[in-house]
Amino acid sequence: MNIEEYISSGILEAYVLGELSEQERIDVEKNLAQYPQLREELQAIEETQEQLLMSAAIKPRIQVKDSLFQRIDQQKPEAKVVPLIPESDITSDNNIWKYAAAASVVIALVSSYLAYDYHSKWKHTENSLTELIAQNQRVAKDYNVVNERLDKIESDLKVIDNPAFQRVIMKGTDNAPQSMAYVYWNASSQEVYLSIQSMKELSKENQYQLWAIIDGKPVDAGVFDGNVAGLLKMKAIGTGAAAFAVTVEPRGGKPTPSLETMQVVGNVVKG
Amino acid sequence: MEYLYDHYSSALYGVIFRILKKEEIAEEVLQDVFMKIWDRFESYDSTKGKLFTWMVNIARNQAIDKTRSKEISKDSKTSTIEKSVSRVDSEDYVEQKIEGIGVKDILKNLTDDQKFVVEHLYFQGYSQSELAEEFDIPLGTVKTRLRLAMQHLRSTLGVN
Repeated sequence: MNIEEYISSGILEAYVLGELSEQERIDVEKNLAQYPQLREELQAIEETQEQLLMSAAIKPRIQVKDSLFQRIDQQKPEAKVVPLIPESDITSDNNIWKYAAAASVVIALVSSYLAYDYHSKWKHTENSLTELIAQNQRVAKDYNVVNERLDKIESDLKVIDNPAFQRVIMKGTDNAPQSMAYVYWNASSQEVYLSIQSMKELSKENQYQLWAIIDGKPVDAGVFDGNVAGLLKMKAIGTGAAAFAVTVEPRGGKPTPSLETMQVVGNVVKG
Repeated sequence: MEYLYDHYSSALYGVIFRILKKEEIAEEVLQDVFMKIWDRFESYDSTKGKLFTWMVNIARNQAIDKTRSKEISKDSKTSTIEKSVSRVDSEDYVEQKIEGIGVKDILKNLTDDQKFVVEHLYFQGYSQSELAEEFDIPLGTVKTRLRLAMQHLRSTLGVN
């Protein structure tokens, strides 16, 4: 296409005036899209026209503006929030931007909703995590307690199950007929363990004291409180114990037993 | 919208008034034009031309439609050339001058032929084909004359 010739035909001026047929107009728009030189020329023509008409401008009376805006205000309620969906017969780049604008608004709304949603989920998750950590610590503590208890039971069991230990059953005296306790005594290692079956709780000032009777004489085997579970390791005693007995003594124990307070007593069965 | 009105109402009113020549009718049409601009604003496509061009075409078409309605008789449009030229030249109405230059001065350097075409197309509401038909000028000639006139005006107005 000869662009100079095309321009000098005056077709662009006619286009600006809106004088072309539909087909001519489409052709011109196609050419404008293709040739930058035509676009430049079109701009110059439009600019010239604008300045020409501006120079011929006549100011309308002021009332015209007032009544125009009254008309627009009256019309407003049904109209003219920028429509997000354009009329179907319009297809232009403009509309792509409108779609883009609409899309970006939608995206903004959706993402802020998601942000909020994720934030609350995150918050919730964090709370759950804190709870779980606390629970975990509790379980770990419980586990340790159970583990210690198990260790204790295992070591107790080693004593009870060990044939080297002899069990001595101490039964309640007239002072405490319901009471009962066992002594596990290893004659060769001289170790002594006590297992309370049933003994009254004592006041804080007093403690139980275990005695071994060796050669007719009481030997101190240590003090204990009444509410202990499992085996209590007592003091080692010498060999040849014939009997064991428990008395109530002031806290810390005494060198000699107060025999009138004797709670339980049992003889060593000679094997 | 108010911005558009403040910037362009005078230019559009100049176009409308020169076609209709009656203040009351021209004012009514100016309002109709702005209502239309308001209603159709979404259909304006900046890739196809300047906003002003789009608005001026709405104004011109609306004014021409009005001349065809019963309120305006055809003879006001077919007044003599001298009368119409004198109308543009006359100082009867207040023109908004760009930097002190009126439209009269701007058209001064055109040849009579070019001036005639510009007058009729821009200030009388003629279409190119009407002009060609009524004054027995080939349509191609009308177009090239307008082209030449616009080129003159371009240098007069200092565009580019």
